[in-house]
Amino acid sequence: MSEVQPTQPEQDNHPDQMPEFEERLLLAERKDWEINEAVLQPMFKTGRGFWILVAILSAIVLWGFYAWGYLIYWGMGTAGINRPVYWGLFITTFVFWVGISHAGTMISAVLRLLKADWRRPITRGAEAMTAFALMMAGLYPLIHLGRVWKFYWMIPYPNNRFMWPNFQSPLMWDMVAIFTYLIGSSLYLYLALIPDMAMARDYTEGWRYKLYRVLALGWRGTEAEWHKLHRALGIFSVAIIPIFLSVHSIVSWDFAVTIQPRWHSTIFAPYFVIGAVYSGLSALASILIIVRRSMRLQEFLRSEHFDSLGKLVMVAGMAWVYFWFAGFIVEWYGNEPIVRELIHEEVSGPLAPFFYLQMGANIIPIILLVFKRVRTTPVLLLGTTLLVNVGMFTERALIVIGSLQRNDLPFNWGTYRPSWVEISIVAMTFAGFALLYTLFSRIIPFVPVWEIKEGRLRYTLRRIGRLLVPTAAEIE
Amino acid sequence: MAKDANQSDEGIRWALVVDLDRCTGCQACVVACHAENNLQIVGEKEAAYGRWTHWIIIHRYWEGEYPNVKARFMPIMCQQCSEAPCEPVCPVFATYHNEEGLNAQIYNRCIGTRFCGSACPYKARVYNWFRPEFPEPLTEQLNPDVSVRTRGIMEKCTFCIQRIRRVEIDAQAEGRSPTDGEIQPACVQTCPTSALIFGDLNDPNSHVSQLAHSRRSFRLLPELGTDPGVIYLKGGEVNV
Amino acid sequence: MDKTNNLIALFHESTDTAEAIDELHTLGIDDEKMVVITGVPYPHGALGRQVEWLTLPYIVAVGALAGFLFGLFLAVITPHLYRLDIGGHPPVGFPPAAIIIFVFTMMATIVSTFLGVLWEMNFPRFGPAPYHKLVTAGHLAVLLEYPATLDSQVRQVLESHKAHHIGEPERMAL
Repeated sequence: MSEVQPTQPEQDNHPDQMPEFEERLLLAERKDWEINEAVLQPMFKTGRGFWILVAILSAIVLWGFYAWGYLIYWGMGTAGINRPVYWGLFITTFVFWVGISHAGTMISAVLRLLKADWRRPITRGAEAMTAFALMMAGLYPLIHLGRVWKFYWMIPYPNNRFMWPNFQSPLMWDMVAIFTYLIGSSLYLYLALIPDMAMARDYTEGWRYKLYRVLALGWRGTEAEWHKLHRALGIFSVAIIPIFLSVHSIVSWDFAVTIQPRWHSTIFAPYFVIGAVYSGLSALASILIIVRRSMRLQEFLRSEHFDSLGKLVMVAGMAWVYFWFAGFIVEWYGNEPIVRELIHEEVSGPLAPFFYLQMGANIIPIILLVFKRVRTTPVLLLGTTLLVNVGMFTERALIVIGSLQRNDLPFNWGTYRPSWVEISIVAMTFAGFALLYTLFSRIIPFVPVWEIKEGRLRYTLRRIGRLLVPTAAEIE
Repeated sequence: MAKDANQSDEGIRWALVVDLDRCTGCQACVVACHAENNLQIVGEKEAAYGRWTHWIIIHRYWEGEYPNVKARFMPIMCQQCSEAPCEPVCPVFATYHNEEGLNAQIYNRCIGTRFCGSACPYKARVYNWFRPEFPEPLTEQLNPDVSVRTRGIMEKCTFCIQRIRRVEIDAQAEGRSPTDGEIQPACVQTCPTSALIFGDLNDPNSHVSQLAHSRRSFRLLPELGTDPGVIYLKGGEVNV
Repeated sequence: MDKTNNLIALFHESTDTAEAIDELHTLGIDDEKMVVITGVPYPHGALGRQVEWLTLPYIVAVGALAGFLFGLFLAVITPHLYRLDIGGHPPVGFPPAAIIIFVFTMMATIVSTFLGVLWEMNFPRFGPAPYHKLVTAGHLAVLLEYPATLDSQVRQVLESHKAHHIGEPERMAL
């Protein structure tokens, strides 16, 4: 059973071209066990490159923990923040990670509700990205606390200090919303994983068998189990969408509820949400391209998936530009002195390089993604989507740090330089995310096998004139 | 919904009047404040990077072109706003509004999110970036009435609440209420030109409330609606 | 009580399975006495079986209500127990309370959906259960419990629909 190798003639001939949609690639002639093998086999292959990658990422993570310890031991002054820039790179990266986490739900819940079939092979990768990005984001509220050892004072439980948190503080909303989203996305990921854990259990032995057996919870795949699972996933998809909208809205209210010029804006919530979707979908595309190549999943992640994903990124990007412009024109026209100063700093002042980086890195990809060749060529799509996230990170930095440098009293204006501690900790979360994702891809089947098999049930090929066209049946 | 206690016109509302006409920018108030409230000295390098811990900051603005340059000074401390933007954002109630109209900071509760600092439009709050150090013999002059704050927490001008409380307790023991001018925060006591006057704004006979009705009086950033407890009197051409 | 036999049969294909199930029904074997195990979720009714009634939506509704009430308690009642005034805001304001109540409602919805579906599926359950590893390899398995008197007829039905691996179900630790 383990002798079968997935055939990939396309890969051999044109390494840069994704295989086009073909009858062969509908997986119609693939047996179920062949699909299982094709997904499971790459997980077992942990070559030297894999361990080198793990070692490098672990080293960065360890260094980041050292930096965090240094920060806790010596005080917040070892970071580059000051008065008035009380929030710096930590909060910027926090917003960035929360943003990245938004694509998982976008893909798996919204597309599941819309019955968009191209979501099937990428849902698990997207949900894992959500969970890991939220874990990284969740570190920052702790990291940026001046007295992190007192963080539990934010947890509402009766105590002998007679202390109670303030539920009017956006940080409390943040805490409960991110916690809810982390629980929701992790449970969503896990629930859809149970049948695949059972599949992996049947194919493995040793420590993997033990792990999968525990995670499968005794799943057999009876009709009743499938029925209940479907029902639960349906409820999850509906329930998690308001959560995902609320989380980034609440993050935006951290800023918008203050009367800091440029933060105090009603458009921040939808602007942040759409920016999150834009950067999250882009990050998902980047990750899928990398995983697809390193794990040889070309048979499952095909050009049609990247084509659709690319279109979605493009639409999200256009919406981002619209929201950005809607906020910008009001501020520009209002011409209030401090806002005018901030806009001036961005457009032609010291922040101009970042501003043009933000605009360029967010708008050029939209234009590039118009072309199908960009959407379906892995290298081009990877470059484009990475560019989007460069732009989105810069955008968050401009919002958080750029705005804080200026305020209502010019004598209080300041500047900000990140310190090595901040850069190390930011690097730690990037490496930590990559590390979690790398390990995940070798432990958990990256492609949701049962969902692919379910999708395969729906498709038949129909001949229209000279063409063979896949047609989908309306079943659920 | 409960009645909003902050809006009350009854009781005491402590206020500080800053006469910009008299301020010479000598920084004596800053020094006095440091001594009274156990403020740490962060050193030149840190201060230049915006990490000073002064509770009073003398804003200095230059006016005009050389050689006709005028320096204008404006001492800015916590404005003790009635509608303080810093208060609702704290997740642990480390800053709240007390019944005497003061914007109180509870150091022990603070976990250091710095949200209040970001929310304050006057940026009057300062943060303990490092563990405070008081080299010998400075430890000998620490004020026992005021706690020494640790690293990682916010602090700000309290209107010398320890002095307010001491006078109030003494007055109560004598069965009277504090007289106008009896309470003197350290900066008020020290100001060589008497540019700072402290008192109860809700007492119509107090010096402070009379000055507050002066033609010269204004409050900082009134358009934000924070209703500060610090009242400025416009300066003329004097402080050159 | 009549003696009953247990049997497992594996099928290659769903149409065969559905037809076999129909014929087993005509033999007088109840739906409850049959368990169909598949590696792929088949649409409702594809295998000619009744859809089970679920309590899950009720569990979720109760959970969401509990979350709503808990959020209400936290956001509206506790601030009065630990009263501290903050500038310009009443102790309880509508927008912050709405956010807290919303988030706790959603959290309870999610958690009760998860716990509810596990409870409905009777999970986790690691004990030995009748199962066949070929299920995840694409076969459809039918577990039967029927009176011993029907044995030959049942086997005949199964064999006529290309069933294989017919035999006593192996109870394996899952």
